[in-house]
Amino acid sequence: MYDIERRALIKGAGLGALAFTVGGVEVMLTPRQAHAQNVPLRTLTADQAATLDAVGETLVPGAKAAGIANFVDQQISGPAEEALLQARILNVRPPFANFYRAALGAIDGAASKSKGRKFAELSADEQHDFISLMRQNKIENWQGPPGPFIFGVLRSDAVDVVYNTVEGYAALGVPYMPHIAPTKKW
Amino acid sequence: MANEKVDVVVVGSGASGSVYAAVMAKAGKKVVVLDNGPQWQLSDLISSDIWGRRLKPAGGPILLGGKHPFAYANQAAWAVGGAALHYFAQFPRYLPTDFKMKSEHNRGHDWPIAYEDVAPFYDAVAADIGVSGDAKAEEKWRPPGKPYPMPPMKTFPAGEVWLKGAEANGIRFVPMANGMNSTEFKGRAACIYDGWCAVGCPIGALANPVVTYLGEARKAGAEVRALSNVTRVLTNEAGTRATGVEYYDAQKQRQVQDASVVVLAAWSAQNPRILLNSATDKHPKGLANSNGLVGKFMMTHHIAGTWALFDKDITPHLGTVGAQFMSYDRYPKTSYPNAFGSSFMSAGASHKMSDYAQARGDLFGAELAAYMKKAVRGLTHLTIFGEDLPNIENRIELVGDKDEFGMPMARLIHSFDDDAVALWNANFEQGLKIAKATDAKEAWPGKGPVMPTSHLHGGAIMGTDSSNSVTNSFGQTHEIANLWMAGPCIFPTEGASNPTYTIFAVSLRGAENLAKTWGSVAG
Repeated sequence: MYDIERRALIKGAGLGALAFTVGGVEVMLTPRQAHAQNVPLRTLTADQAATLDAVGETLVPGAKAAGIANFVDQQISGPAEEALLQARILNVRPPFANFYRAALGAIDGAASKSKGRKFAELSADEQHDFISLMRQNKIENWQGPPGPFIFGVLRSDAVDVVYNTVEGYAALGVPYMPHIAPTKKW
Repeated sequence: MANEKVDVVVVGSGASGSVYAAVMAKAGKKVVVLDNGPQWQLSDLISSDIWGRRLKPAGGPILLGGKHPFAYANQAAWAVGGAALHYFAQFPRYLPTDFKMKSEHNRGHDWPIAYEDVAPFYDAVAADIGVSGDAKAEEKWRPPGKPYPMPPMKTFPAGEVWLKGAEANGIRFVPMANGMNSTEFKGRAACIYDGWCAVGCPIGALANPVVTYLGEARKAGAEVRALSNVTRVLTNEAGTRATGVEYYDAQKQRQVQDASVVVLAAWSAQNPRILLNSATDKHPKGLANSNGLVGKFMMTHHIAGTWALFDKDITPHLGTVGAQFMSYDRYPKTSYPNAFGSSFMSAGASHKMSDYAQARGDLFGAELAAYMKKAVRGLTHLTIFGEDLPNIENRIELVGDKDEFGMPMARLIHSFDDDAVALWNANFEQGLKIAKATDAKEAWPGKGPVMPTSHLHGGAIMGTDSSNSVTNSFGQTHEIANLWMAGPCIFPTEGASNPTYTIFAVSLRGAENLAKTWGSVAG
């Protein structure tokens, strides 16, 4: 089998978890486990991850603990063809890391301009209001990918880690009913 | 590197390419199929919206433009089996009116063939790969044909709740025709209604090419090469014959596959891209493009979706992602006074978490969490596809950016005209009227700033001669006898119903003709 196929299949079909690097060793973890174990980031900076955690939590309660930052970081650190992000479906042009850097930069830039603080440092009410304005493209002097598009992509990532897992189905009482189940509840 | 010459090289292994591969291999021809995607095994098709995204391209080579860009990556594929590995397998037909729009309405194009020319191939495809449905019930809208080999799929409350609203609006729903097994069929399992169809059906109950025509092709000796990116069709010095294709293999090495006949079946966006990139001094505008029509008349359906939320458990997670019911009652092209084009309705597709969340894409935070609890019990959807008329300005063109193989990327430029926008709006009104006549507690249109699109057609349309088209009705190009086009790229109009059944049928008609005329075509 071709190398690229082997990689994609091994990290997908055979194992439901994702490959994270801990102490130089590749281990298979769910994003929630990676978050809980404070797995080092590979592409996002600590500041970017903090922004993503805060935006994710504002979009979908529970997204931070479900590992949205580790999920996105892992996904944008490998070849685009292996990425499982909704960005892929929304025609974002690889490398996907560029989009996330630009999106998180736009959010923090706008928050700093209007509030004098980064997004993660705003109060919960301020974060909610900011996201509402961003969704409606009502933040003035926005610099970066369109706010409504960022809203859609990051919201989808948050939905993925909170709802689109076996755990997420169970939490809402919906039978998952897989033909082929993702292992490790992912 | 040159490979041993074969009789037929088929570029693309989806609904159209798989049919050509099967027919030609069974006719005793040596066939090689090249596909740019990997060869997923059925056991790779994990039941998950997240993992299912691997079946689609990551930053495909098609850039998007126009006022209403086409949802390319969502509809395209990165897989042997093509987009039909993740399709919904709804199998409505086109109707007779779709083949004669110009004659009947002085709009768009006529096909050079009639419904009656395709009808036997609908029946043949149903017998080949299995279709579940109620053909008799459909005959209120179309000429009679053979019964489907399997009874309709089971229905569930998320579909049944629409019947009351439809009836109140004079809309007749009949069981959806599906390319899925309601019973075991030819050794393939019956559907178990878990609703994961769109991320790939690993039990073979859904008629994807891997378990149908492509499987038959392999059994008859066809070779399928995965991760093979075709960049050009090659021609002889005189420019009169195709001699094969250039491609880059899984190791990204350049290869040449010589063949007596080349069939391009790489979908409506990629087929024109390859033709345009195959320009030579004899074909300076690209192959089969003396008239400049390659890449023109790109069409896509617009979607008017209506959501309805019930305060009881209608088990929306169950069933098939191909909807449970369908209607052609707004299919006549002048159904609405201030719009033009056909509309096709379907209701009751199964939903997963992404669907619930996207149905209220404006919600976030605590509001989203509260809504999700209700949606997973009570949400259902009515879909109305609307027709886009062929417009020469909607096109594929090469751009300066290149892909990793040095092949120019392409831009797909698409805008709906005023008629299409009016039809879209009329379909929303219709959908809401139906929803409000159900017992739903809430109903809303799935309408945002972007006009949603589905299915892609055109780019190398068929016609009577080279004055109006790229190919004849079988897909043979007017300019190069041994260069054939397959798939929705050859459709001169797009109707409004899901196109894949028609893609299979028109491809079967073309492939059988190629086999019959082999001596004169292959030379």
